[in-house]
Amino acid sequence: MVYKNIRNILVLILITVWLAVFNIDNKLHIIACDVGQGDAILIQKNTTQILIDSGSGNKVLDCLGRYMPFWDRQIELAISTHIDKDHSGGFVDVFNRYKIVNFLTNDLNNPMYDTLTARVIKKVVGGSGTKVIYPDVGMVIRVGVIYLDILHPYEGFSSKNTNDYSVVNFVRYGNFKAIFTGDMENDTWDKIINTTKIEPVDYIKISHHGSKNGTSEKLLQILKPKIAIISVGKNSYGHPSEEVINLLKKYNIKILRTDLEGDVDYIVD
Amino acid sequence: MIYRSISFLVLIFIIFLRFNLTKPNYKNGDFVKITSKVYNEPIVYDRQQYLKLQGLKLYLPKYPSVTYGDNVVVTGQINNGKLVSPKLVEIKSDKKGLYSFRQKLINFYKSSLPEPYASLVAGTVIGSKNMPEDFWNKLKDTGTAHIVVASGTNVTMTAAFLIGLLTVFLKRRVAIWITMAGIFAYVVISGFDAPIIRAGIMGSILLIGQEKGRLVNSWRILIYSGLIMLLIKPLWITDLGFILSFVATISLMLLQKKIDNRLKIIPAGIREGLSTSLAAQVGVAPIIFVTFGQFNILSPIINALVLWTIPYIMVVGALSGIVGLIVPVLGRLILYVAFPFLLWFTKILEIFSY
Repeated sequence: MVYKNIRNILVLILITVWLAVFNIDNKLHIIACDVGQGDAILIQKNTTQILIDSGSGNKVLDCLGRYMPFWDRQIELAISTHIDKDHSGGFVDVFNRYKIVNFLTNDLNNPMYDTLTARVIKKVVGGSGTKVIYPDVGMVIRVGVIYLDILHPYEGFSSKNTNDYSVVNFVRYGNFKAIFTGDMENDTWDKIINTTKIEPVDYIKISHHGSKNGTSEKLLQILKPKIAIISVGKNSYGHPSEEVINLLKKYNIKILRTDLEGDVDYIVD
Repeated sequence: MIYRSISFLVLIFIIFLRFNLTKPNYKNGDFVKITSKVYNEPIVYDRQQYLKLQGLKLYLPKYPSVTYGDNVVVTGQINNGKLVSPKLVEIKSDKKGLYSFRQKLINFYKSSLPEPYASLVAGTVIGSKNMPEDFWNKLKDTGTAHIVVASGTNVTMTAAFLIGLLTVFLKRRVAIWITMAGIFAYVVISGFDAPIIRAGIMGSILLIGQEKGRLVNSWRILIYSGLIMLLIKPLWITDLGFILSFVATISLMLLQKKIDNRLKIIPAGIREGLSTSLAAQVGVAPIIFVTFGQFNILSPIINALVLWTIPYIMVVGALSGIVGLIVPVLGRLILYVAFPFLLWFTKILEIFSY
């Protein structure tokens, strides 16, 4: 009886180990999580994760649960592009559940950031042992074999619009290149284009859930993306806009939308 | 016999009297200030949290978060059993004792496993109802929500586990009293929900009967448990959990053995789950259908496929939680042993909720 129990427990442990190891592949995954109206993008290679934004509620936890190994409780880098609730509202839950090693965010003490979301985030970040990084143009962050180049904002940037604070960055992995745009709007895009060297990319996370003020023809001509991800849910703003969709179609860019496809898992070999 | 009938009638009369005396006397439009302990775990939604205080339903902003066992002061206006535009004036958390033990356990599960596995363990072991909306809907659609909201079965299992373990070291008398204390602690930890209290009272009466060496009739225990509960809190008669719990127990006692005998072809491991949930469904399904408009004809099959995993999830989950509060890493490793069961449970739900 006792021996039979021990045998069963060993078999169970063996199954667990198999399940733990079996699920990992060696490719880069860029997963635009279906979090309704909002952004949450998980970039994963093996057990290294970068989470760009967190959606508004706790749906991001479902997404992390679906794609991360069940025993991996650490996210190497989390980026809050800006403080709007549909981008950063879920971070409190993420911080409570996972160990975040680095947290890239605009200065949470900025008076623009005096919102409930910011206050709650400040509180959880404070007690978590996470290293907080402020973005600056030209900054290069390496996470495993993944490189991030920060294009915006620069130190001391200020604006009346929270969207303008959006962290814009490239993600480089081998020859593959992607751009993540937060909710960047056209006026500030123009400044970025004029002051920073921007090269073509393979993958673009369309700014501001496909709003017409976030993507211009000029931008697409410079970036020449092959794939465009629109992270969007039910909303009353008319996102994504007809204009942006038509623009993407005009340049033969493949469109993938989280409201139509659910999670969009883009795999890079 | 005549005395028993009279005492029975007197008991029912007292309950009736208490029901009318303790019924809260609110009028629509009244402004009230409620000072109360939170006796049920608030349900956290995307933007707000839902809780019940003194029979009133109210929605508060998500932060600061209120937990089971906190002492709160809330103001607001009454409107048909709801508290409109409520304001949280004061909140005091209990930092020691069983309430915070519960919170620590939940935090341990939620920081050790991803969703929905963490919620499944927290729900199964201590009846935590806070879980991702998608997963909760799947549980409801498949008729398996009763497993995760701490049913009476958990109490029975806790009692059986304790008595089995304690009688190895201790005299039966002592073991019984410690087990009863254990049942009480479990009821407090898992939140004062009607099904758990019912099972707690029934279990305790059964244990006292054993201690006194008296044979007890299970029907009588059931009836007295119900009456005791109503005597303490007459408002329970309107609580759906209370009604469902008793109806389910009655149909189990009536039908489970009979159904089980007719299903001899099915292997024993699954048969028990199937006959149990078939029997319970007979009584419960009509009530659920009338109140929620939900009925899943496949529910007994789904239950049979997942119910066998529950004892393992409970035992491994509870053990890992206790170890995990002392040595988190070790507790986490133990918890991972339950992962194959958790995966099985969630996969079955996924398959059947399409």
